[in-house]
Amino acid sequence: METKLLILILNGLTQAAIFFVLGSGLTLAFGLMRVINLSHGAFYLLGGYIGYSVVHATGNWPLALIAGGLSIALLGFLFERTMLFRVRGGDLPETLLTIALSMIIADVSLAIWGGHPLTLNVPAYLNPRVTIFGITYPGFRYLLMGISVFIALSLWLILYQTKLGAAVRAGVDDRETVSALGVNIDAIYSLVFVLSALLVGIAGVLGGSYLQLSPGGDTTILTYSLVIIILGGMGSLLGTVVSSLILGQLLSFGLAYAPQYSYFLIFVPMAIVLAIRPQGLFGREL
Amino acid sequence: MSVVWKDLRRLVLGVVAGGLLILLPFYAGEYTVTTFVRIIYFGFLALSVGMLVGQAGMISLTQTAFFGLAGYVIGLLGAERGMPFPWRDLIAIAAVLVMALLFGLVAMRTHKIVFLMITLAFGQICWAFAQQNTSLLHGWAGIRGIRPPAIAGINFNRTSNFYWASLLIFALGILVLRLLARSSFGLALNGIRENPRRMAALGYPVYWIRVAAFLIAAIYAGIGGLLATYNTGIITPTTIQLSRTIWVLLMVILGGSTYFWGPVVGTAVAVWLDVLLSEGTERYNTVIGVIFVFVVLFLPGGILSISDSLRDGRGFPFWRRLYARKNSG
Repeated sequence: METKLLILILNGLTQAAIFFVLGSGLTLAFGLMRVINLSHGAFYLLGGYIGYSVVHATGNWPLALIAGGLSIALLGFLFERTMLFRVRGGDLPETLLTIALSMIIADVSLAIWGGHPLTLNVPAYLNPRVTIFGITYPGFRYLLMGISVFIALSLWLILYQTKLGAAVRAGVDDRETVSALGVNIDAIYSLVFVLSALLVGIAGVLGGSYLQLSPGGDTTILTYSLVIIILGGMGSLLGTVVSSLILGQLLSFGLAYAPQYSYFLIFVPMAIVLAIRPQGLFGREL
Repeated sequence: MSVVWKDLRRLVLGVVAGGLLILLPFYAGEYTVTTFVRIIYFGFLALSVGMLVGQAGMISLTQTAFFGLAGYVIGLLGAERGMPFPWRDLIAIAAVLVMALLFGLVAMRTHKIVFLMITLAFGQICWAFAQQNTSLLHGWAGIRGIRPPAIAGINFNRTSNFYWASLLIFALGILVLRLLARSSFGLALNGIRENPRRMAALGYPVYWIRVAAFLIAAIYAGIGGLLATYNTGIITPTTIQLSRTIWVLLMVILGGSTYFWGPVVGTAVAVWLDVLLSEGTERYNTVIGVIFVFVVLFLPGGILSISDSLRDGRGFPFWRRLYARKNSG
């Protein structure tokens, strides 16, 4: 019983690790640009699929992680530069464009990778059996948590310890002034959007190695991402950490004890937070 | 052209169009009539979304959930427990109202993009519940065998009868919405779309006006759901999945969200497009997505904005958007 509980907690942490990588990019992009990228779920799916193909062809998982992340970053860059910037500032057109993109990506992915669920093959050397406190758990899941923590620390360093990060944070508060101080705010916008795409591409490879990638998964993932950032507070990195941890445990225990309602349960904390504190746990008033 | 002539032209146009629609079952095949029934029930859904997007500036992605809820209620009460018309239908609309009120009270605390995200999440909650709940809603399988009632000896299982009933309800729905849009309530709603703070300063109860608009829109979605469920005889989680919601939003934007007839025109075009595309291509969603991108980038006012900008001598909107890209940001 004790062991089962600990395993569930570890599963929750693994899920939280993926949730964090998934949510952090979206929350950063939203915090700065006030644009909500509804193709986030499709980006995740495509990143995962590309990673799958790379692993399938080369057997090299780290390479798949890099390929998945970079290809989605490139896609994000092209999308931002050719389309999204044309409608900047308009909620409706921005949203619709990202929705349209997600439809196209999901459909093209279906054409290329087919309708069967796929999972990335993790090589044995990355997945040793690790025993801590008498509990044996797949080492790869510890690796997932490690990567997530590494990403969180890197984001924190970039945002709070570099000039670039300072410009990004200032841009959140007052775009005109930052622009007047000689910072190229448009370049920063692109950069943050690309960073967000990079993160979600990585999340796709991580998630696709732990769970399955399948058509329709894009909307599920998009919903997860939205719930993560609504709960944590949009634009807040710390909020994303906390909400990922909460939702990870909720999903893990929900699947074990109330499988009929596991997906439904995810929304409960969001509904409570919205009713009491609409800006989210760590968010600021918009 | 004088105002009288313009009105007369409109009247003639309206009578001809109305006549053609009413007489449809006499000169068109069964398939065409069924397609028009689809246009009508999706039209209700589009009116619901269009009212919120166009009149109130609220992009709601929850409306399909109300559409589905109405269907589930008549399925549960009618097909499974044998409750007669009109009670099950009234209860269905009441259920839609209750859910819309609960959602509305929470969602109206937010604005714009946050509102959009929250309504999207709400819609997904409903979908998740319908899909995972096997004991009551039967999960993926949904509820089958829902048939329209016979009222006063008229059998609404016949396509033509069902079409006329739907057409009548649709006409009434449009009329009511037209009156609402021109009432002080509709004007207040437009005011809130443009500037909620000023409206609040003028003493309008902004929060409650938005809640009321949300409730009215939910009723329209619910009526659409009733017609749709009677027509197809089945309700499943697929009815309320996100891609459906997005499709409806596309219809509204395609027609022109700020025009009163926009949602209806958009639905008519989109449903026929649906028929053509699903026969012609397997990559249906890609085509829809590309159309969507073009509409957003080059025809943001929708189909109905074409005639407007031609009349104002501003040229074809598509070209204008292509060349006027300098002053962005």
